[in-house]
Amino acid sequence: MTSALITDCLTKRYGRRSALKDCTLDIPAGHVVGLVGPNGAGKSTLLQLACGLLDPTAGRIEVLGAQPVSGSPRVGFVAQDTPVYAGLTVADHLRMGAHLNPSWDGALAERRIAQVGLDPAQKAGKLSGGQRAQLALTVAAAKRPNLLLLDEPVAALDPLARRNFLQGLMELAAEQGMSIVMSSHLVADLERVCDHLIVLVASRVRVAGDVDDLLATHHRLVGRRRDTTDLGAGRALVEQSHTEVQSTLVVRSTAPIVDPSWQVDRLDLEDIVLAYMSGATGDGAGRVLEGQR
Amino acid sequence: MIWMTWRQFRTPALATGTLLLALLVALALTWSEVTELSTQTGYAGCQGDACRAAAESFLQALQPGWASEVHIAAIGALYLLPALVGIFWGAPLVARELESGTYRMVFSQSVSRGRWLLVKLAIGGAAAALGAGLLSLVLTEWAQPIDGASADRMNPLVFAARGIVPVGYATLAFVVGVATGLLLRRTLGAMAVTLLVVVSLQIAAPFVVRPWLAQPVTTVSPLTFDGDFGISMSPDTGRMTVHVEPDRRGDWVVSSTTITSTGAEFTGPADMTKCGRNASGGRETCQRWLGEQNLSLKVSYVPGSKFWGLQWREFGVLIAVTVVLSLFSLWWVRRRLV
Repeated sequence: MTSALITDCLTKRYGRRSALKDCTLDIPAGHVVGLVGPNGAGKSTLLQLACGLLDPTAGRIEVLGAQPVSGSPRVGFVAQDTPVYAGLTVADHLRMGAHLNPSWDGALAERRIAQVGLDPAQKAGKLSGGQRAQLALTVAAAKRPNLLLLDEPVAALDPLARRNFLQGLMELAAEQGMSIVMSSHLVADLERVCDHLIVLVASRVRVAGDVDDLLATHHRLVGRRRDTTDLGAGRALVEQSHTEVQSTLVVRSTAPIVDPSWQVDRLDLEDIVLAYMSGATGDGAGRVLEGQR
Repeated sequence: MIWMTWRQFRTPALATGTLLLALLVALALTWSEVTELSTQTGYAGCQGDACRAAAESFLQALQPGWASEVHIAAIGALYLLPALVGIFWGAPLVARELESGTYRMVFSQSVSRGRWLLVKLAIGGAAAALGAGLLSLVLTEWAQPIDGASADRMNPLVFAARGIVPVGYATLAFVVGVATGLLLRRTLGAMAVTLLVVVSLQIAAPFVVRPWLAQPVTTVSPLTFDGDFGISMSPDTGRMTVHVEPDRRGDWVVSSTTITSTGAEFTGPADMTKCGRNASGGRETCQRWLGEQNLSLKVSYVPGSKFWGLQWREFGVLIAVTVVLSLFSLWWVRRRLV
């Protein structure tokens, strides 16, 4: 499996404040990858480093096997809040894309604009948030990059606009075969489109893997209150909570758990991500999982 | 990139262009007025001593007409143009992209940041040079009889509104605007700072830069006090200064001082019995007394023949600063921005 994005001890500091610290990850190519984490985890910084908008303070970053530079025809980027030129019309944006990108796919751009119902003569400043996001995605996609990075593209959209946007993204991924990395702090957005998920907390990778694998290997165990030091081989504790009489654990296990003293439940993706986010402090279990796929 | 630059630049460019066009039309319409008056008053084609009087009457005849108004407006426009270009073309060029976040969109197209700024600098700078150059060229041609008659071309105020110097100011102001916007990242702040820098430059140039570039000639000649002169004195202390207008028609007098035989500036004290309110003899006595003081006039001036040499020097300095600032901006956008 080739990698779309590799980082090694990647650090970005602004003065004394670290926006991203010692981040090491490997994002496979050919997937729709969700990058999820709480606000301030370093998602935006990571994506801006990946498209060359920022330069790293320390560490190494490689995008499609090369150092990222802004102006690369192989990487597309839709920035947070999907900025567009307010004074330019929709058609002007497409003309800009055609003038500034040798690999521009005019037919794709026209088709997408018609599909999402944008009026080419309308000024971009008058578009709704959802329409603006669609325009920004169209400009980024019609460049035909090998890797498309999206920084919280749906954060400001209402549920319907959100669904339309993600629908469009799915179609692009299927038609164009481009790798997509999309960040969000909402798992529900990513669940629908991503087949690979990375949980980033405090610039560390808590877990990374194919969505199906994650769903299959994570379990919630509920049972009589007990000590959790010994879970058995091949099992790792992600999160635990205890009451007087009852223990609730989230466990990653490759083998199915057959133990009559536990009630074993399946977890959905949101539960898994939340377990990793809240279990991030303390117990060291996360460290074991780091870098696993 | 050229298309994109033009698309973003066309509104301010057309607005400034309209202003320039209006002035060019006004100059064209008054062209015949200037040439006709110079013929009527006998200034055109005058010979020898008659010229001085003909020039006077030519300038007198110009006063009531439109030509003198247009002349002042065109000079004013050439002073205003650098500030306008810096504020409305230069300052928002990068600052607005940074402020609205659109730099993240344009930097993710397949164009490097360096090329993006280079094209913008080249097109904006060329447009500023073209606009200022065109107006200055037409004005310099239009005002040729007036400049000849008034011999005022070296006057600091007129100098910067003739020849090629306006081109230098306009391009420099544009790049100052761009660089300030790049550093401040705020459109409004960049506009204010640009205005401040451009105006300071326009004020500092005639007082500091130009005398240094021109290397004025200094002459000392004995004062005879038989022409016009002015006296200012304090009746209590007897402190007195003498002002004599040097006869340097067509030259730029940088400074003129009355000095004593030792070379120091003459400041009195005056003989209170011969000069001042209580003196008996009146103005002639004082004049005679001054004549006996062995005073000289020290004049530092730039000959009018150096006009084009000075134009090229000042233009060269302005363009050199423009180039340095442009290179700095290109370096900054590549290495230091965000």
